[in-house]
Amino acid sequence: MIAMLQWTTFAVCALAAVARIPSAVRGENRSIFGIFVLATVAILLSIDAVYTVIDSWLGSENYTNLLLRFLIYGAVLLSGYRIAKAFDSGTSIRRIAGPVGIGVLSLICIATVALFLLADTAGTVTGLTTLPARSPENAALIESYAAVGRLYPSYVAVCILPATYRAIGQRLPKAIRTGAALLTVAFASMAVATLFPLIPSDLGYVESIINYTAVLCLTSGLAFVWVSSLMASRALRRHRALGLAALPR
Amino acid sequence: MPLPAKAFQLWLHSVAPTASTADICRISGIKRTTLAQQLVRGKVAETTLVSISRALHLSPLAALASFDSFADLSSPPLPTPAELVSQIATMDLLRAVISRSSPAYGGYGDDGSSRTPALSAAPHATSVRNWVDSIDDGELRHRVSAATGIAPQNYSAQLTANRMSPELAVATARAAGIGFTGGLVATGLITEDEAGWPPGAKQAALDAVSDGELTALAGERLLSLGKTLRRQEQEQAQTQKIWENLG
Repeated sequence: MIAMLQWTTFAVCALAAVARIPSAVRGENRSIFGIFVLATVAILLSIDAVYTVIDSWLGSENYTNLLLRFLIYGAVLLSGYRIAKAFDSGTSIRRIAGPVGIGVLSLICIATVALFLLADTAGTVTGLTTLPARSPENAALIESYAAVGRLYPSYVAVCILPATYRAIGQRLPKAIRTGAALLTVAFASMAVATLFPLIPSDLGYVESIINYTAVLCLTSGLAFVWVSSLMASRALRRHRALGLAALPR
Repeated sequence: MPLPAKAFQLWLHSVAPTASTADICRISGIKRTTLAQQLVRGKVAETTLVSISRALHLSPLAALASFDSFADLSSPPLPTPAELVSQIATMDLLRAVISRSSPAYGGYGDDGSSRTPALSAAPHATSVRNWVDSIDDGELRHRVSAATGIAPQNYSAQLTANRMSPELAVATARAAGIGFTGGLVATGLITEDEAGWPPGAKQAALDAVSDGELTALAGERLLSLGKTLRRQEQEQAQTQKIWENLG
């Protein structure tokens, strides 16, 4: 069930990234292409079979997990910044890309690397699931490492959430409002991820569902808005061709 | 509530006893599936009735009047002058202002001129709101929402969208204590002719408006048009920004 969710999410992200190649080549909003690529690679790295192979190349020290964290930070930063700009929310932009946002990101990056290096991470383990069992000290380190990893997406999500939520109720084209609703679900899931330690451990699959919901909704929300813009510019071109653009409504 | 299907079928049988449903749909241009669906649900839209009566060369007003909910339509009083003026498009009002101005500004003086183009047919782009404004004594919206149970914000939304169901138009007219035809014309269900308005009624009502009143009215209309356009431009700019960043 979880594997199916993973591969579906991967397929959606990969499809979006491939579909975005032509416009990236033309130089239109390459960061959106970047978000799709980062999300695709991140999903790929979280799949057990792929993780095992890649990590064996990287020396079986679970550096792949560290790489995965940074891919996620990158995707979250890029998408948060782009979306805040699109929905014209000054406070969100400042909190994500201003001094505060960069400060938060730097602290989290340093903490991530430090906690990873301090912990005993030898031997490939997807999702680092069995590492905490090695020693009480390792348990504390790995759990903090995971908590810090969820903190940055939650921080960005909380910054951007008001902007996307507001857009749902505004008088905008339906496709944009649908996209905003999907993005709101995505960011709400990311924000909720900080509360994972509160979820009982026998309900572990809930965490995966929330994580993949976030990625699926983020990708599809972005894709929705993008497709609507393509359709709008096509309609506009047709109008111009007929000389109708200058007519009053 | 739209028309009950049973009463509708009785009416259809009385006006076209020999026609099959397929014939009715063909001559009135209604899709067969649409009519079938309305009959199955037990509610037939007034627009369906109006299209069929037009196709059968019957008066849509008389057809509507044969139903209980529109019974008061059988001998409709003429709309008030204010209602008639409300059904004149904003651009026609502005043209009337210019037409009454001195020749130096392209007008013909006080009395207007036969060269002023004829008024366009109702309904216009803000017909519904202007009609309600023209009959509102300040408490009308409260009375309508008390009588029909529609929430005030839903009622305003309908005015903004320039849309109103025939039932609500009738309820509004009833709450204002006036004839029903103004609302049915403003919502576009029937034409001015079908409503029994004499040709030139709007023009006559306009001619009776003083220069001061006309100018003030045109000013109000321009103000609200400006607000609408500004809001549209804002939404357009917002949409553009979203597409620029995520498109």
